[in-house]
Amino acid sequence: MRPRRTQSGRSSGSRWAVPALLVLAVAGSRGATPAHAPVIAAPGVANPAHIAAGGLPPPGPVVRNPYRGESAIARAGGKLFVSMHCSDCHGDAAAGAVGPNLGDGRWRYGATDAAVFRSIYFGRPRGMPAFGGVLGAQGVWVLVTYLRSLPPPADQPTERFSRH
Amino acid sequence: MRWSVARDHDMVRAIVGHILRKRTGMRACVAGFLAITAIAGATGLARADRRASAGAPADGEWPMPAGDASATRYSPLAQIDVANAPRLRPVWSFSTGVLGGHEGQPLVVGDTMYVVTPWPNVLYAFDLSRPGYPLKWKFRPDVSRAAIGAACCDVVNRGAVYADGKIIYNLLDGHTIAVDAATGRPVWETKIASVADGQTVTMAPFVIGDRVIVGASGGEFGIYGWIKGLDLATGRVVWTGHNLGPDAGMLIRPGQFHPPYVSGAELGVRSWARGTWKHGGAPVWGWISYDPKRDLLYYGTGNAGPYDAEQRAGDNRWASSVLARRPENGALIWAYQFTPHDSWDYDATGAMILANLTIGGKRVPALVHFDKNGFAYTLDRSTGRVLVAQPFTDVTWAKSIDLATGRPVVNPAMQTGDTKGDVKGICPSLEGGVSPASPPAYSPRTHLFYTSTNNFCMDYTVHRIAYIKGTPYMGVSSPYTAGPGGHLGAFIAWDATTGRVVWKDPEPYPSWSGALVTAGDVAFYGTLDGWFKAVDARTGKLLYRFKVGSGVVGAPIAFRGPDGRQYLAIYAGIGGDWALLAGDTLSDDPTDLRAPNPLLENLASRTSQGGMVWIFGL
Repeated sequence: MRPRRTQSGRSSGSRWAVPALLVLAVAGSRGATPAHAPVIAAPGVANPAHIAAGGLPPPGPVVRNPYRGESAIARAGGKLFVSMHCSDCHGDAAAGAVGPNLGDGRWRYGATDAAVFRSIYFGRPRGMPAFGGVLGAQGVWVLVTYLRSLPPPADQPTERFSRH
Repeated sequence: MRWSVARDHDMVRAIVGHILRKRTGMRACVAGFLAITAIAGATGLARADRRASAGAPADGEWPMPAGDASATRYSPLAQIDVANAPRLRPVWSFSTGVLGGHEGQPLVVGDTMYVVTPWPNVLYAFDLSRPGYPLKWKFRPDVSRAAIGAACCDVVNRGAVYADGKIIYNLLDGHTIAVDAATGRPVWETKIASVADGQTVTMAPFVIGDRVIVGASGGEFGIYGWIKGLDLATGRVVWTGHNLGPDAGMLIRPGQFHPPYVSGAELGVRSWARGTWKHGGAPVWGWISYDPKRDLLYYGTGNAGPYDAEQRAGDNRWASSVLARRPENGALIWAYQFTPHDSWDYDATGAMILANLTIGGKRVPALVHFDKNGFAYTLDRSTGRVLVAQPFTDVTWAKSIDLATGRPVVNPAMQTGDTKGDVKGICPSLEGGVSPASPPAYSPRTHLFYTSTNNFCMDYTVHRIAYIKGTPYMGVSSPYTAGPGGHLGAFIAWDATTGRVVWKDPEPYPSWSGALVTAGDVAFYGTLDGWFKAVDARTGKLLYRFKVGSGVVGAPIAFRGPDGRQYLAIYAGIGGDWALLAGDTLSDDPTDLRAPNPLLENLASRTSQGGMVWIFGL
């Protein structure tokens, strides 16, 4: 069972880290030359939930997660999720607090790695800060890999109540 | 084809240019108007008028957040009393169309009721003189969505204040705005806080004479906390007093600052390790009161940041404190710290209620404060000295308050920090023995104070954390547990002269509403599961209750309608910290599902989000 935040009012996880150093450490753990060149984010990241006028999707650069499915990167992303204060808004294990639950398998801005990348890198208008400046594209992909690794809950428990 | 595209672009540019010119003209117009109001505001006549308005309001009105400048939330209306309160009934309701936590309270001035909503901070003016109370006007400010993410605990607003023909309130995105009470047109708007620095504004402004007093939230975002005095006529920032840091920034003037238990210069710097005051928090998101005889305004400051107290060794003055200032220039006169070296997120932003009490046969100008830390304090409001300090709920973090030193006798086993690991069994939880968002009431008839309380304890783990501008500065995990007694909240009556609970009405859920007490000796509050309740102020006996549709986190008020009859008004609309803690009460976002909180079992089966205004009468 995915660990779930229960009754914590204010929450976040574990270690002291100067964030920029941790980003470098994550990158460095893959050797001096990363196996995948960092992908530079650009406007035009596709969101499949968007409706294309005239049925024509606008052309734009292809944005691909270089770490997709890599469990070591996902684990590093879990640490980054705490040290970059993500958990202070989105809760322990991303289960939701001030910011939405990011582990429920539902995505406000689109269920693709690219859409999640765009949310973290550029921010979102309802107060999601733009972390691209402090994390860089690589750091953001590490977080994306973590979030996309969270298994959605088997069932949604909110609609049932005990007898009382 | 190419030609036609170019021509279209030219047309678009022409239209845009036309619109821009119009906008610029409008701006010049507003600037001219502001200049004129500034000149009008400088006249002595206008000043005398406003001084008078700082006194007691007409008994049937509710022109400021707590009803009066002493923050008593007492109404002298007595038509509704213990005998007839069981016959209360809802007479009107209105959906605000907003789902955030509806903290705060309506205002009633003349024949009009004013309601300000959580973000997006819509302001409604209802005509109480016409059947069905239709809107006179509705004001929708252009408030930034970015502020939503910088609000620690839901996008609440704790209300507006009326003064000088204006309704004045704060926008979540760091602006104070004054709106013409008759027409709904904005008169002035001032940027007071920076969302990019983690500052949002949730508190209700307070007006004393020419000054509009405002502060910012952000104890969870590493702000350098402050309070400001604006000019009532123009909105200009007249003074800014910080709550921590160097004396100059705190508006400490030579020979004027006399804290009762400490002395020396630069206390706001020397009580913080290595310059940590710069991101030390001490926000202002609660309530303000004013004593005209002493010419002092009183307010509390929020928690110190970050949550790891070991990162900021020292007492951390003046976080978790009450401060007394001169409203005219902000000069700091005295300060008292309820929770030195706050290691539990014990904000002191709850109301500072001014009442003259008889303690040990002596008449005392008192200030009574129910703190998040679980103690209720009775201070001498002239000096800040503690006269009485007793727990009003279960407390484990400290044994008592030493009246000789003013300091808590801290239980060393409850001290938290990054070297302390998981500290278990801290009571109260960081939601507070009472939330500062739940202002108490005081009746000069019963001489009792009435307040909601929470009965949570917590385990507390903190880790060292770096400051990243524009993001939370917390570093805590703090799961709650139920306090003893089998109930998670209670509404209590308190004797502040002896420091004891006189009666207690247990509630199944934490009690998060403000309180009201009237000359009919009826006390009113609302519950998290959505009941509006009237109880006998002398015994606590339930007289009336009605299910208002959503959990109550606002505060009731009383007023006399244009028909001469007494009414009560209260918001429904669960939220605030409960949007975080009872996430399964949310329903409006299909991409954000929350598991139920086992501690608040079945709360979501009894209530859901939804902002409503209710009026009750006989």
